Amino acid sequence: MSTETQTGTVDRSIAERLRASPFLSQLLSNRLAITGIVIIVAIVLVAIYARLTYDLSELMATQFGTNPAESPPSSEYLFGTDGQARNIFPRVMYGAWYAVLYGTVTVIASTFLGVSLGIVAAYYGDLTDNVIMRTMDVLLSFPSLLLALALVTIFPEELGLWRAVGALTLVYTPRFARVVRGAALKVLEDEYTDATKALGATDPRLLVRHVLPNCLAPITVQSTLNYGLAIIDIAALSFLGFGASPGEPTWGMMLSNGVEFGLFSGAWWWSFFPGLLLALTVLGFNLLGDGMRDALDPRMRETVD
Amino acid sequence: MVSKRFVLKRLLMLIPVLFGVATVVFAILHLSPGDPAVVIAGERASQEFVNQVRSDLGLDDPLWQQYIRFLGEVVTFDFGQSYQVNRGTPVSQILTDRLPITIELALLGQFAGLLFGLPLGILSAVKQDTWTDHLTRIGALSGISVPIYWSGPLLILLFAQFLGLLPTSGRIGSEYFVEPVTGLILVDTLLAGNIAAFQSAAIHLLLPVVVLGIYQMALLSRMMRSSMVEVLRQDYMRTARAKGQGSKITVMKHGLRNAFIPVITVIGIQFGSLLGGAVLTETVFEINGIGTLLVDAINRSDYPVVQGTVLVFAVLYTLVNLGVDLTYSVLDPRIEQ
Repeated sequence: MSTETQTGTVDRSIAERLRASPFLSQLLSNRLAITGIVIIVAIVLVAIYARLTYDLSELMATQFGTNPAESPPSSEYLFGTDGQARNIFPRVMYGAWYAVLYGTVTVIASTFLGVSLGIVAAYYGDLTDNVIMRTMDVLLSFPSLLLALALVTIFPEELGLWRAVGALTLVYTPRFARVVRGAALKVLEDEYTDATKALGATDPRLLVRHVLPNCLAPITVQSTLNYGLAIIDIAALSFLGFGASPGEPTWGMMLSNGVEFGLFSGAWWWSFFPGLLLALTVLGFNLLGDGMRDALDPRMRETVD
Repeated sequence: MVSKRFVLKRLLMLIPVLFGVATVVFAILHLSPGDPAVVIAGERASQEFVNQVRSDLGLDDPLWQQYIRFLGEVVTFDFGQSYQVNRGTPVSQILTDRLPITIELALLGQFAGLLFGLPLGILSAVKQDTWTDHLTRIGALSGISVPIYWSGPLLILLFAQFLGLLPTSGRIGSEYFVEPVTGLILVDTLLAGNIAAFQSAAIHLLLPVVVLGIYQMALLSRMMRSSMVEVLRQDYMRTARAKGQGSKITVMKHGLRNAFIPVITVIGIQFGSLLGGAVLTETVFEINGIGTLLVDAINRSDYPVVQGTVLVFAVLYTLVNLGVDLTYSVLDPRIEQ
């Protein structure tokens, strides 16, 4: 009960903050950002539609006899069929669900972990700060895709695509921790945090109710930019053979199979359409993330990684 | 000039990071569910033989002993022997054979990215908010959104299959054999004085470099643009123009040098994505660098190779960033404080 009211108030204060700041109005006047939002909304709608309409086991099963194999795009098979005679169009639509679901979980998990670590490091300082941030530094010393590749191996194979989610969560966490620690340090310098402490606020209350809301802007930008990256990296891991199980209609898996078995025998549509949707989705998040960054601080343009 | 103290300090700071990197690699491999002893002995080996292999490898020693031994191996650059590649080949040997291939690809990709990305970024900044700018920005954003493992195969399909202009995969035509000296195929063919082989290698590398370069170009043009926009806004730029210098000279003389500084840092940070891109490019074009080595090693549970490869990648990345930091401090001495 009490937690409900608490989040309610936090939500309201965020909404007020957004209205009071020029952030939202600036974002909405940016045509590229609007394009990004339109793309993302469209993909999410496709994802939900596909999830509700199609039966996953049917999409995964081979369809020899029902459909022709490797048939080019036509009015009946909009995106053609693959080597298992499966209709590619509904599979690509369902791929949107995979991308949105797994991308969202990755971003939420790494945001949550990174934000917690970053705020704790900033607030407690000294040894805590050093231990957390040096660990983050070490993780940042690996090229991200390679660290993800190595980390995928620590998860049991039965987890399928969740292995990729787990690995990428660990890879992205340090970026959030770094951004949030920086933002939180600035907030902690402000007088109102001293005032809140003087009023007897407990540490968790101070951090969640006062420090966190004031760090939301950089967190949101980082999350949005990471969304596109998460989707492209999950697909990359699937492409390299780590993640989705064979037959699963993820864009990465379809691309990988399409390139391996279809591309040079002429069935270009097999890998073309999953890749197209993947690129479009990532572009949507990059457009929105860029617009957010510009709206947040024009001088910050393209400097946040 | 960079002071010796600064360089020394940065080098000392490297030690704990590399120590941490080695620890992470050790942890990852010991958390993996696979059993190296079973991998070596084979699936059908008797339990007795598996146990024998395990104790031969020292895998039944306490974890801390294995850890210390591992750190010793890392320091001496001895990662043991591969379980799979010609069973028993030292990992360090495999890495020295394969590393130049990846480095050559990455450097050429980086070079292509710089060659086209920087001028595009400058153009975009100078023509800020015109159609040239908008087109360049949208192009750059698309460039970083298109996955290499999609654009690569499509380009192969177009240039190799349909047009027949370029080869589909590999580093050099199978009819050529060049004695590896540096491991960089373009250099080795030239050293051998074999122009035909050099041409073959260049043609083979063209598409991979384009695919990798597009991504780098997109990244760099974005960075260059934002950095240049920032510089153009500075007071000294207005002063230079007020003194009567033409705007082109102002941009070239005062703008570029200052705008390059932040871009150099970004090149360092993005070296990681360059290496990740190289792994994907190698897979798409079937190039035997350490990217494909790593993917194969993970698939075959070849732990010593995984260990060595990941470590080498991390060390390479860290050293590049150290180099970038030092360059940065030469260009902008204030950074030492």
